[in-house]
Amino acid sequence: MRKLLFAITLVVLSACKNEKNNDQAQENKEQVVNVYTHRHYASDQLLFKRFEEETGIKVNVINANADELIQKMNIEGAQSPADVLITVDAGRLTRAKDQDLLQAVESDILNNTIASHLKDPDNYWFGLTKRARVIVYAKDRVDSTALSTYEDLATENWKGKVLIRSSENIYNQSLLASLIVNNGEEGAREWSKNMVSNMARSPKGNDRDQVKAVVAGEGDLAIVNTYYIGNMLNSDSPEEVKAAKAVGLFFPNQEGRGAHINVSGAGVARYAPNKDNAVKFIEFLISEEAQEVLTNSNFEYPVNEAVEPSDLLKGWGDFKEDTLELSKLGEFNKKAVLIFDETGWK
Amino acid sequence: MKQAGSKNIFSYQYRLKRLRRDSNKWALLTLIILFLIALPVISIGVKLFSGPGETWGHIVDNLLFDYIGNSFFLIFACGAIVLLLGVSAAWLVARFEFPLREQMEWLLILPLAIPGYIVAYAYAGVFDYGGTFQLILESLGLEFIRIDIMNRWGLAFVLGISLFPYVYVSSRAFFLNQANSLMEASEMLGVGQLKTFFRLMLPMARPAIVAGLILVLMEVLNDYGAAKYYGVNTFTTGIFRSWFSLEEPETAVYLSALLIVIVFSLILLEKFQRRHVRFNSSRNNNDRIFRKKVSKRKQLVIFLIVLFPVLLGFLIPVAQLIYWATLTYGKVFDFSFLALSLQSFGIAFLTAFVTVIFALTLIFFSKWSRLSFVRNVSKLGVLGYAIPGAVIAIGIMIPTISIDKWLIGVIDYLFDFNVGLILTGTLVALIYAYVVRFLAVAYNPIESTALKVSNAIPDSSKMLGVGNLKTFFKVEFPLIRTGIASAFILVFIDVLKELPLTLILKPFHVSTLAVKAYEYASDEMVMEAAIPSLFIIITVMLPVIILNRQLIK
Repeated sequence: MRKLLFAITLVVLSACKNEKNNDQAQENKEQVVNVYTHRHYASDQLLFKRFEEETGIKVNVINANADELIQKMNIEGAQSPADVLITVDAGRLTRAKDQDLLQAVESDILNNTIASHLKDPDNYWFGLTKRARVIVYAKDRVDSTALSTYEDLATENWKGKVLIRSSENIYNQSLLASLIVNNGEEGAREWSKNMVSNMARSPKGNDRDQVKAVVAGEGDLAIVNTYYIGNMLNSDSPEEVKAAKAVGLFFPNQEGRGAHINVSGAGVARYAPNKDNAVKFIEFLISEEAQEVLTNSNFEYPVNEAVEPSDLLKGWGDFKEDTLELSKLGEFNKKAVLIFDETGWK
Repeated sequence: MKQAGSKNIFSYQYRLKRLRRDSNKWALLTLIILFLIALPVISIGVKLFSGPGETWGHIVDNLLFDYIGNSFFLIFACGAIVLLLGVSAAWLVARFEFPLREQMEWLLILPLAIPGYIVAYAYAGVFDYGGTFQLILESLGLEFIRIDIMNRWGLAFVLGISLFPYVYVSSRAFFLNQANSLMEASEMLGVGQLKTFFRLMLPMARPAIVAGLILVLMEVLNDYGAAKYYGVNTFTTGIFRSWFSLEEPETAVYLSALLIVIVFSLILLEKFQRRHVRFNSSRNNNDRIFRKKVSKRKQLVIFLIVLFPVLLGFLIPVAQLIYWATLTYGKVFDFSFLALSLQSFGIAFLTAFVTVIFALTLIFFSKWSRLSFVRNVSKLGVLGYAIPGAVIAIGIMIPTISIDKWLIGVIDYLFDFNVGLILTGTLVALIYAYVVRFLAVAYNPIESTALKVSNAIPDSSKMLGVGNLKTFFKVEFPLIRTGIASAFILVFIDVLKELPLTLILKPFHVSTLAVKAYEYASDEMVMEAAIPSLFIIITVMLPVIILNRQLIK
């Protein structure tokens, strides 16, 4: 009974509060933008704070895995407080679009700044930063001239020498999705099968662990994201720095389509209660100011071409990137997961 | 013929009459509580009827064998580890006097303070390339030795050493409360220590031990972070994979259902093995405990045996975390961190309180209801523990969002304005989910102490005309205090560590230490996760020490 009374009181109280809000002029209402994000880096928090300072719009953040955020938005439906969804891969954004959780945005700033393959063709989402999935190799055991493509890693040459993490990981799923588009489903299946037989060990750990395993001699080379190498080189642990320095970095497929890249990206939620603020927020994230912060403190490649990559990234040299429309990665994500399972890639 | 027919009718009528006679408010309340607890499970269960997704066949063909094999491997391997470590430690601290015994008693609970996935990361760090262990070997000139912990044996080890305190706590409670008179009797009859332990104490303690073991196994089946990191496919990783990677909640629900069948069989097994054992003892629980005094050398051996699990489950991972913390504290530590820990502490405290109340009501209301079927189904309330946190979170969101939508509709109709979401994304939904998830953690220790309270005591109180509630507070509550305290500690610790459910259901502006640690760890900043992890451990240590004293009283 008491609980019931309590609930009623709550309802009444919140009702009063809302009525008060309605009475006040719209402009007086605190401006907010509610962000559902899979990114949880210090650089992002810094940028959110700057955005608040510059615009007076308060940034509310929910951090979680992109899958869980999408599920949450699905269940919340039209009542969802989410304004912006940020994920660390294009596949999840495409999925959110397919599930009708995002809306198209018309913004000249976004359209003119971001290259067309780095955003949704219908403007449902936009890339914020790029990461390349590259080969790292033991400098003492592998001659970099022996390296060429992702496809080459699946040949007999590298039997028992390749290190790569579990197929659970979205970056691997996206890589295989790109192979499905580029080489066809059968080609991708063949690749996955041969990669499994080339693995130095059963997949485990994260990207950093693959680098360490290369240095420890468990395998000769690994497929990892550039972003993690940057973080390892700047790690607080002397051992991690040592490991990252002991490997060479190679951008594959430079003669052909280019290295596989993925983006962190953002889209405006279908039922965004603060749509204008959401657009402003995304525009801010690709501004030169924000992109500088992202590339310098988080070792990601900027999508805004006016901004140079950080010195560390430049040190790895320019590279040719696969300009496959990233929305395709989402389209073929599920197929990729099925192929991984069928070919026994754990 | 006629006679038989009338007899049938008679028995039907008789049953109906009995039902009417025996239905009381306690039965009704039990069923209401049970419904609340079961609601998320039901809302997921309803989804079972829509059939499995189209990839179900794919999963059966390619993955299911692996899931079942690994999950059963973990059940047996972890089961063996926690029994060995938990029961031996409980017996030794309950029966023997040795140096630092009091400290050891609470140190043995502390492995629970570290989230399983953090222990997994810490051990990966210890045995890693360039890890502590390798550096030690190098300095000894033994660098050719390399231990790979990232496989299913390593996973069983990591989960075992971080979960054995469940068995330790429940069996110690038994040994402390029950062992004295039995031991005395046994010794008077000239039976040796070891024989007494194996022939008498162990069988007597079985329900308490198994209660702890069941919790461990549920936790093992629920683990996601550690299994994923170590590359071991289990049911839970399969649920996440089919739900999120294959985008088929239906398939995930089928895997969950299979998982629930496994856990349910474990629970039935426990019920079955307990069936003939009666625990109506007339012992006075407040007797002083007499611990055996043994020679110095034996004391040292006992100390080392007890130290071993503490070393593996607590000191080594904590040492690794402290090392990482010294590397990263400048980056991570600031004042908002203290606020964060207070928030975590508050949420865990509140949830532990609510969960204990739910467990008590479920146990006692069903006991007071005269309907045997109510008593039997009340055990179903603990099933939430078998379901992965993320799945419960989804199961909570489905009903709360519909209640919210209904409220929005009603209020919009009556008052013509939009109230927004009232339950979803608030602490109410979060704590509700915790209660569903951790009811078993509170239920089992309370139930096992409640079972030891002779029915004659409350019965005589009631015979004198004292009501159920008053009898409970005056008579039963003091007797089961130790069980309640254990329940409180365990729920508190679990909530503080809980991750997937918190991630999904936490309101804006609310964060916990576990979430903070995960944010770092999931972004491969494992070293940065050390500070929030250590904060969890520090926050948990204090209540463990305080409540452990209470347990001894």
